[in-house]
Amino acid sequence: MPLLQVENMTHYFGGLRAVHQYNLEIEPGQIRGLIGPNGAGKTTVFNLITGIHHPTRGSIFLEEENIVGLRPHQIASRGLGRTFQNLRLWRHMTVLEHVKMARYSRLTYGLAGAFLGTPKRNREEEAIEVKALELLEMVGAESFAHQNVLQLPYGAQRRVEMARALATEPKVLFLDEPTAGMNPEELLQMMEIIRLIHKTFGVAIFLIEHRLKVVMELCHQIQTLVFGEVIAEGNPLEIQNNPKVIDAYLGKDIVA
Amino acid sequence: MTSKTNSDWRFRLKRFWAPVPLLGWLLGALGAVILEHIAGDPFSELLGLPKIPVLFGALVMLKKPLLIPSALIYVLVIYGMPLALVGRLCSGLANQAAKRLLQFSKPFSVLIHLVLLYAVLHTWSDLSAYRLLTLKFTLIAVMLTLSLNVINGYMGEFSCSHPGFMALGAYVASTFTLSLFVNDRLFGEALLPPSLGPFLFPLALIAGGLVAALGALVVAIPSFRTRGDYLAIISLAFMFIVKSLFENLEVVGGPRGMGSQPNWANLPTVFIWTVLCVWVINNFVRSTFGKALNAVRDDETAADAMTVNTRRTKMTGFLFAAFWAGVAGGLFAHVLRYINPSTFGIQRLAEMLAMVYFGGLNSVYGSILGAVSLSLLSEALRPLEILKWIIIPLLLILVMIFRPTGLIAFREFNVGNLIKPKIQTRIED
Amino acid sequence: MIFFLQNLVNALQWGSFYALIALGYAMVYSILMLFNFAHGDIFMVGAYIGFGMATLLVALAEMGAVAPPGWLILVLTIIISMFLTSFLGMLVERVGYRPLREAPRASAAITGLMIGIILETGNLMLLGAQRVRFPTLIESTTYDLGGVFVTNKKIMIVLVSISLMVALHQFVKRSKWGMAMRAMAFDYAVVPLMGVSINKVAQLTFAIGSALAAAAGILFGIAYPVLDPYMGIVFGWKAFVAAILGGRGSIMGAALAGFLLGFIEIFTAMIFPSTLRDLIAYSIILLILVFRPHGFFGEDYSARLRL
Repeated sequence: MPLLQVENMTHYFGGLRAVHQYNLEIEPGQIRGLIGPNGAGKTTVFNLITGIHHPTRGSIFLEEENIVGLRPHQIASRGLGRTFQNLRLWRHMTVLEHVKMARYSRLTYGLAGAFLGTPKRNREEEAIEVKALELLEMVGAESFAHQNVLQLPYGAQRRVEMARALATEPKVLFLDEPTAGMNPEELLQMMEIIRLIHKTFGVAIFLIEHRLKVVMELCHQIQTLVFGEVIAEGNPLEIQNNPKVIDAYLGKDIVA
Repeated sequence: MTSKTNSDWRFRLKRFWAPVPLLGWLLGALGAVILEHIAGDPFSELLGLPKIPVLFGALVMLKKPLLIPSALIYVLVIYGMPLALVGRLCSGLANQAAKRLLQFSKPFSVLIHLVLLYAVLHTWSDLSAYRLLTLKFTLIAVMLTLSLNVINGYMGEFSCSHPGFMALGAYVASTFTLSLFVNDRLFGEALLPPSLGPFLFPLALIAGGLVAALGALVVAIPSFRTRGDYLAIISLAFMFIVKSLFENLEVVGGPRGMGSQPNWANLPTVFIWTVLCVWVINNFVRSTFGKALNAVRDDETAADAMTVNTRRTKMTGFLFAAFWAGVAGGLFAHVLRYINPSTFGIQRLAEMLAMVYFGGLNSVYGSILGAVSLSLLSEALRPLEILKWIIIPLLLILVMIFRPTGLIAFREFNVGNLIKPKIQTRIED
Repeated sequence: MIFFLQNLVNALQWGSFYALIALGYAMVYSILMLFNFAHGDIFMVGAYIGFGMATLLVALAEMGAVAPPGWLILVLTIIISMFLTSFLGMLVERVGYRPLREAPRASAAITGLMIGIILETGNLMLLGAQRVRFPTLIESTTYDLGGVFVTNKKIMIVLVSISLMVALHQFVKRSKWGMAMRAMAFDYAVVPLMGVSINKVAQLTFAIGSALAAAAGILFGIAYPVLDPYMGIVFGWKAFVAAILGGRGSIMGAALAGFLLGFIEIFTAMIFPSTLRDLIAYSIILLILVFRPHGFFGEDYSARLRL
């Protein structure tokens, strides 16, 4: 049974067709990639599945439940975590607060606890703090825990965003260009973190990437998106040798 | 070389006062106000002052500049001396006491501190009706500033609706108390014996708060779709609508307003409600539910993707803040014992905004600082009459230029840190 | 029907004030991304400067051998006052807003509020609490247009207002500086990269906006000769609402919204008791904003007051 299933998703922004007959099946624990030239609609696909826009046509099933029409936080609570292409951080909060915030849906102490500081609230807050520190340790950012997130170097910020997404306890993790702007050393670190996450949590991962090295080494299955349509789908070897893919990337260097 | 000696004396000063716990300062303050009770009158006569300076000498100094030295001496001797002496000399004892109290039970320690604080305020204000009134208005200002900070600071909106919330609370609470307990021209005979009044007063205030929270829906629901400038206008429109509504409601007095509210907003009542307000709001903003306000402010899309229910967060923020503004309005009505619609207009808005932005955004400390300092300043500068309205705005403009988010922004209370004993450590340079 | 037309004329006049003031707000809002809450008080100062000018000129005329006609004095008053008030606007920009250009917009908003209070207090200090009366410069003549009574003052006010708005529109559309303003409204950061000084555009924006407010003030003084230091507050905030209703990025939208606000107020006063006027007008505005949250002509994004 596929964890996430998208059927014939089509989306128009006004008169512009952004995504056409898009299909996706992600099995539990699978790592899938989404590549394609700039402007192909990859982030739009992400935004449609995570609920930021409602697709004009098509259906999306998360664990057999139709999630079209649900609000993003509802979809996130059901196990769909994500990171963002442009690093959406909260400029006045510390690293630890970022990761703790993502545990929002797990909190049960309600407004009474929030207003009155009940023992239940103290217990739950402490529990999410412990969990948050664990996740930060996993991505190697625990030493920054109490710093404002804007003070961190870029690579560390990306890792914090990763820990934040993990804190939602996703079954599927959508990563939007996780290595964008990274130097080769940071890139290898990030790939290690992705592998570690996959091994530790068994989470399925759906990855948008431009660095083909990352996609080829990590992904089980890859889709190539051009002008909102999937032109090729297969394992890394098949994609690398697919003439349509090569054509879409005409002249592009396959460089890490 | 020079800078080292400069920071050196500041450092030494800090080190000198560092070991005094909050308990010590409170005891010192208590000593000061008791001293004033005993020796205030004769001492001020000795110094040639017309009477005990009511507002730390500020009014005297402005009205009769010749008496400035006397006023300064008074303040130093009556306030400064006990505070410094008791504070510093008894710091050892105070630290012991703070430690024992904390070990015994944190809530109990907090209670003792609050009782002491109340004792200080009560004793100080006992000497003059003017002091009492100023104190009450200052406490109410703290509630208003803090609740406005929830919307303007923590949620990052620019809300002009607070006078409207205050008005709703004031009118509802007044209607409650006047119709039920007082024979007055608007509502006729009292329905219940006035002795029941003080017990039902909290209900009146809560009713005011709840109606204000209901009113906040008018601003909260549009906030789902828009924010920033457009929400500012919607909140502004709301304020004008509420004001105009009460101007046209003859049943609550129309433009002439309502008066003779019963005198139930005494100092203990106002103090308790203020403490409650500060405590609850501080709890809220430190919780993850409260931090969600910040997350929605700083990046709503990310918050949404991280399972934060953005609509519920906004709703909670607005309604919660409006509730406290309503309660503060109810208290205000019963302290002033007269309200009319013009009390809740642009002037009030400007005052509240000034206190929030002056004290510091997104900050409990900042709200308290802003409310207390601007309230006292506003009173202290009264002798300057109209010049006051040049000085205070100028001061604010300076703060905006040099510290745009306010004096103490982004700082919450940590109650544990406040009441714990200050340990004497060896200072390494 | 006559009644309707009569009120239409009144609404045009009333709306002109709002429109002229709203233009100043809208310009600053679109080009500099900030609310100038002192603008209403600049309108007040403009009216008072006009009062001073007019009184001075009338006194000079009475002393001197020359006796210029009333309308000439009026024209001179308007021009000189617009000129002088524009300096006030530039001063406000230089002292209050330029230091805060990088600061959160809310801080600039508070500064504006405070400057407004200082202007009001300054007026009270200089002229005392009693109201002043704008000198009568033109004799009032009423024309009967088929049952609708229109005074020459009303006609003049509407005509002057509309000409000023047309002039502004042409300026923004055709002149070099107008183009700089439009560029800045579109993309704030790019303008200095193109060799245009943000400071100069800012000063010009404030100058023009303040001049228009001054014109509104004088025209208001002609229609309703009694001035008081707080007249700017009511008008200022309402014109502010109109500017936002017009939508960000649309200067003419603000003017139209100003007229609309005038219409709403006059016509609600026509139908309902006058005490309900504010209540109904603001409720209508609230409804408009709830259903069309970006104003009439604004782009579909909401500017955030960022901390």
